[in-house]
Amino acid sequence: MTFRRGQRVEVFRKSLDESWQAFMDSFIGSHGIVTDPDTAKNDPDALIEVTLDEEGTHRFPQDCLRSLEG
Amino acid sequence: MDKNSCPVADNIKSLSHVLAQGRISLARGRQWAEDILKLMKDAASGRGGPDHFPAMEAFSRRLAGEEENRSCVEIGRMLLSELQAHREVFLSHLETRNCPLGDCIALSPAPCQMACPSGIDVPGYVTLIGQGLDDDAVELIRKDNPFPWICGLVCTHPCEFMCVRGRIDKPIAIKDLKGFAAERAMSGGRYRNPERAPDNGRKVCIVGAGPGGLTAAYYLSLRGYRVTVIESLPMAGGMMMIGIPRYRLPREVIDREVAMIEDLGVEIRYNTRLGRDITLDELKKEGFEVFFIAVGAHGSYKMRIPGEDDYPQILDAVDFLKRIALGEHHMPGGKVAVIGGGNVAMDAARSCIRLGCDEVTVVYRRRRSDMPANEEEVQQAEEEDMKFSFMTAPVEILGRDDRVTALQCLRTEMGNVDESGRRRPVTVKDSDFSIEVDAVISAIGQTVDRIGFESLADLEWTRRQTIRVDQASMMTAADGFFAAGDVVTGPATVVEAIGGGKRAAEAIDRYFEGIPQPKMPPVPVRRQQLDCLEVPAAKKMSLTRPRMSMLGYDRRRVTFQQVELGLTEKGSREEASRCLRCDICVRCGACADICRNKMGVDALQMGYLDFDKRGQTDFRIAAERCILCGACAANCPTGAMRMEDRGRERILSLCGTVLNRLELEFCNDCGAPLGPARYHDFIKQKTGGIGATIWEGNLCMACARKTAAKTHGENMPPIA
Repeated sequence: MTFRRGQRVEVFRKSLDESWQAFMDSFIGSHGIVTDPDTAKNDPDALIEVTLDEEGTHRFPQDCLRSLEG
Repeated sequence: MDKNSCPVADNIKSLSHVLAQGRISLARGRQWAEDILKLMKDAASGRGGPDHFPAMEAFSRRLAGEEENRSCVEIGRMLLSELQAHREVFLSHLETRNCPLGDCIALSPAPCQMACPSGIDVPGYVTLIGQGLDDDAVELIRKDNPFPWICGLVCTHPCEFMCVRGRIDKPIAIKDLKGFAAERAMSGGRYRNPERAPDNGRKVCIVGAGPGGLTAAYYLSLRGYRVTVIESLPMAGGMMMIGIPRYRLPREVIDREVAMIEDLGVEIRYNTRLGRDITLDELKKEGFEVFFIAVGAHGSYKMRIPGEDDYPQILDAVDFLKRIALGEHHMPGGKVAVIGGGNVAMDAARSCIRLGCDEVTVVYRRRRSDMPANEEEVQQAEEEDMKFSFMTAPVEILGRDDRVTALQCLRTEMGNVDESGRRRPVTVKDSDFSIEVDAVISAIGQTVDRIGFESLADLEWTRRQTIRVDQASMMTAADGFFAAGDVVTGPATVVEAIGGGKRAAEAIDRYFEGIPQPKMPPVPVRRQQLDCLEVPAAKKMSLTRPRMSMLGYDRRRVTFQQVELGLTEKGSREEASRCLRCDICVRCGACADICRNKMGVDALQMGYLDFDKRGQTDFRIAAERCILCGACAANCPTGAMRMEDRGRERILSLCGTVLNRLELEFCNDCGAPLGPARYHDFIKQKTGGIGATIWEGNLCMACARKTAAKTHGENMPPIA
């Protein structure tokens, strides 16, 4: 799916992407807001910036995220 | 003690338990233990200072030295051992006012600060701006981000997405307030560098003078390192300078903030490209021990359509914006097509308008609602009479005599959902049409240029062609090499690059000192604890986010003058007073819970407390219902909710927002304040059925006892 700025999302699983780092395991289940999606071309493979509630701002591969809206 | 819990919180708990059980029999020993407990509580609530830890040790030693009392010796030794084992954690609580494990509830950073990739103490500087202390605000920001003015103009402000005020109406204009304060401090000549540590003689080379590189240069220089930055361009700023048009970020702003960094002794060697003008071996011979790579992502993707490489009027957007930044202000053509729907496409198209192009058309293969560019960018482009051709896919660039004449396109429609879960645009058969143009600008994404790093065999690259690093320390696989910014993340934001540069500076310092690198990215540091601005609830609710003044449309179409003109002073001060001070109120809901469920009053309507399920918020309701019993304030774990008597009034406030104020009633006998009439009515109503009162006037407890005793003596016969 296309993630857009301001969308509420959940880190619902660990990603198998090489950009996933060990410390991100603790974010699984966290909720947050997409703060910087791929602003060039909506690339589903791009890393997108998500600000997690109380956990800081990080770039995630999109396959570990799901929308919490509708 | 639990390995996953905070030693400060654990020790407070265990020492409180020891004291409650009366395990210390010696009176002076008990007093010392209580003093230690007070000091620990200060550390856990952000009220500690540099003398607290030595004082805790001294009292513990005194306890352990009471050799004739076994309990004192045991507990003293236990405390000394705990303080020794967790010395760094205690000191970190005292120095940073931060509890990394979040157990010391009063030390949790606010959501806006947590969200900031560079970890700025947002509530702190917003409050300072509200107090009119713009210079102090800038000084506070620069503890975490050396570019307050730049970020005040172009930051993507993730902080505002997490702003709790946004759950009530609109988030605080955090970015704009930062820009306001920085401009005021700079124009008043009060934008100053902090003191630099003495020179430690160690040399660090930074490759790239963009936001990441210059941030690392700033913090390393402050720590006493000798920093040299090599930059391939004739000016500093990187993508901030050549990728962001001047109407969004004036060059003077970048130059002034970069000059502040140079004033710290940072050397920037311009027109020096790694691999072309200088090699790594040559730099190592100059004595550089550590390298920090922050070269950005300046390459562009190709469109891969016929004609793309055949005409000089076909440009890539990054190169086009760079030429403008370097001073080339020629129209690319009269009629220009910009391919892409992202921020860079908007920047290129809006720049074309300013260069005098007659007609600029943005060609995008999806719908307007699918455009990845920021909404405000798209809106401003529309205001500037940009044309858009949505659902359009370019298929060929046509031309003759070495000149572009048209862009051949196909209509698209949204197809079925693909494997990534999104609807992909598919071209419509026989829908060919052409757009008459004499220049085409491609803006379909940026890549990292690897030139210059070929000799560095240990450096690992990801499949996205970015440098692989440990995100906690920004260390690469090559020893002594660190990297951050777009070269690591791919095209990202200025503030992320700044955050990465700051993290790298900390890691480089650890590398030199031989300290192990962290395993997690840092938790932001709360720099100050400031008093809240007092605002009546009605004002807190009625103030609205200020509207940014904008340059007129006509002027926008012909110059590169800054479009956003900044906030007014009045607007800024008022905006700061909308802040809810989430660095103090942790939104635990204890106040609302006790008011509703224990007191049965339900005066606190604070629907913003829940991140996921928001409800209605109205601070004004408290004035209608609150009885000023003080149960909320007594149960607030952070002191955010306060009740105090001031003159003839009792006032309840939440982080400075005055929720309720009522006239006090006083003891008829001694004049002590008793509480407001509404509270007394509530008590009377609750206790009315228990028994008759003996006195109709207002008496404090002490006077009531005296009166009761007197009456008792008069009415009862003496005992024989």
